[in-house]
Amino acid sequence: MRLHIKVFLWFWLGVVVVSGTLIGLTELTHSRTQDDRLWQEKYGPRVDLWARQETHILRTKGSVALEAYVGSFQADPGVLNYMFDVSGHEVFDRKASTPVLTIVNALMQSSGWTQRVDPVERIIAERVIDANGNPYVVVVDFPEPSVLSRPLFELLSADFSGRPTRASAVRLAAVVGVAGLFCFVLARHIAAPIDRLRSATKKIAREQLETRIDRDVLNRGDELADLGRDFNGMADRIEHLVTAQRQLLSDVSHALRSPLARLNVALGLARRHSVAGIAEHLDRIELETERLNTLIGQLLTMARVDSGVGLERKVFDVAALVDEVAMDADYEARARGCVVAVSGERNCLVTGAADLIRGAVENVVRNAVRHTADGTRVEISLERREGARGPSVLINVRDRGAGVPDKVVPRLFVPFYRGPHTDNNQNGTGLGLAITRRVFEVHGGSATAANADGGGFVVSLELPLYVQGDILHQHADTRPTTEEHGNAITAA
Amino acid sequence: MTGYQSNTSVPPATRHLLVVDDDTELCQLLSEYLVPEGYDVESVHSGMEGVERALSGDHALVVLDVMLPDVRGFEVLRRLRARSRMPVLMLTARGNEQDRILGLEMGADDYLPKPFNPRELCARIEAILRRSGNDASALDVRIPGDLIVDDVSINRGSRAVRRGGETIELTTVEFDLLEALLRNAGTVIPRDELVRTVLNRSFSPFDRSIDTHVSNLRRKLGPGPDGLDRIKSVRGVGYQYTLWALSGELEK
Repeated sequence: MRLHIKVFLWFWLGVVVVSGTLIGLTELTHSRTQDDRLWQEKYGPRVDLWARQETHILRTKGSVALEAYVGSFQADPGVLNYMFDVSGHEVFDRKASTPVLTIVNALMQSSGWTQRVDPVERIIAERVIDANGNPYVVVVDFPEPSVLSRPLFELLSADFSGRPTRASAVRLAAVVGVAGLFCFVLARHIAAPIDRLRSATKKIAREQLETRIDRDVLNRGDELADLGRDFNGMADRIEHLVTAQRQLLSDVSHALRSPLARLNVALGLARRHSVAGIAEHLDRIELETERLNTLIGQLLTMARVDSGVGLERKVFDVAALVDEVAMDADYEARARGCVVAVSGERNCLVTGAADLIRGAVENVVRNAVRHTADGTRVEISLERREGARGPSVLINVRDRGAGVPDKVVPRLFVPFYRGPHTDNNQNGTGLGLAITRRVFEVHGGSATAANADGGGFVVSLELPLYVQGDILHQHADTRPTTEEHGNAITAA
Repeated sequence: MTGYQSNTSVPPATRHLLVVDDDTELCQLLSEYLVPEGYDVESVHSGMEGVERALSGDHALVVLDVMLPDVRGFEVLRRLRARSRMPVLMLTARGNEQDRILGLEMGADDYLPKPFNPRELCARIEAILRRSGNDASALDVRIPGDLIVDDVSINRGSRAVRRGGETIELTTVEFDLLEALLRNAGTVIPRDELVRTVLNRSFSPFDRSIDTHVSNLRRKLGPGPDGLDRIKSVRGVGYQYTLWALSGELEK
């Protein structure tokens, strides 16, 4: 759930629960004491009156008449009426509860009081003396008003007099409403800067390095403002480093290639005026210049991959890319009577820097074409895999060449390692496979090699497939490019 | 090259080149190399100067470096394209795919990664000039005037392209590519043949400029009436312009 909604609901719930509890407790305690006082004021004099009447009826009309009289006002359910004579004997032989007997004894022994009240047990006892001078104690035991028998609403909205009113319902509603508004603003105040920090972080991750936290957040003067300032400090530093790195790569590239460009033109001029026997040496110079140029290109690619600077990530179909590379390699291979064939999975969307992946695949496929025996097939197969970390595509490039001694295989990916076929490998820089592995690794995949069963050599390239909705790939700017790039290569 | 030199009908201005590159030594070497080939070379060393001189109309072609000290080569190209269709050959950093695609998308006629072989540079310049020379003379007897395929029509003389009633802006290469495709509409043209006829150069595998041009052309033409691409890629062979009248039948 969004932080804003979460904070809001929790605060609100907190305020409502606390105020609800307060109102409830106030109602329970206050109304009880209030109620007791009212009850006593109301029934005290009545019990006094009843007691006088009862003793009068008993004296003048006898116990049968008294029983009838008591029955008439005892219609209220739960109200118990007792009459004790001077010996403490109940006139109608009814069993009385202990609190009743306690209060009767207390009243018998005291001489001053004529009425005693037990508000907790809701008992009122009255001592009267009839016309004949006989003392009696009349006790009325009222039933306990049950809290649970009241409806909850009545309880919550009861005002201090113990009676539920509309006013207190309005009061409760107002508390809920005002608390809601207040909590909403409070939650917004806390959550809004976090939202901004989050979106700024996402932008930085998308290489929008000029992103900064704005004044609104920085002027708060709390920890979130400090966080914003720290964020800006970090962003300054990252922007500086990345720009410097990018500039350095570009400068190095320019600085190394400019002399090569001049050298090439000078070489062209030298050829024009060449004298007998020098052409061979000029060819050599040209070849070495080309090698140097390739090496510079690969070193820069390596630096670019390692630093991750300027890796433009797009969604593209790697199967179509493999097709294109295979098509070109096939063209090249035909000169030696070889064929490059692609089979297996179609439409494999992946995300990454398409030009780097192309270079890496091209490198492996051209290696295979170079090493496969004349008149054989280089087979490229694409295979979909379900791994623990989601689906991936495995690209196997297999040649029909002599293979490589097993102990050398792992070293093929080490930069500048020169394989055993030095005769074949003169044109390589020793960086090709190292770059291929790095490119696949930065894309979350892998590159491995092995001698194939039945002869030949196989290089396996694995790349995670693009999953719709994957957080890592859900950059707003990756979507539109899908189609554009797809157009260029899909049906190829 | 020799074939070109025998062609004396080309006016002298078409051999006047403008080189925009901040490397003065390279510019010097280039003119030394190009002058004996029959070219007239003017060099400028900044982007702003480049724009100014290119718009003067004195030159037949611009060789434009991407890396310039003041404004990037792309900006020079953009300003130039806003006013002129003059042929541009871009020099890009080797291995920088984005530069190549961007250059071609913005209307460069061709590109050459730097460092380049001067023979290759000469061949590219020749190819572009021959193409724009055709353009100027408009003497192609095979297709006089309009060529109409379904809702797309092109006019070789004015080099205007219309889809329905709407005019579409194409670069020189894109126009030539479209013409080649329309002329053979319904049949597949191999990629290497397109490279030879449209780009006027020999096909080399792993050079993807023709695909970039096709992709740009597709984007500018938009989808056909059935929502599919007008230009179909045929795996392992090349490209085909789809005829509507036939496409329905082909699917059956």
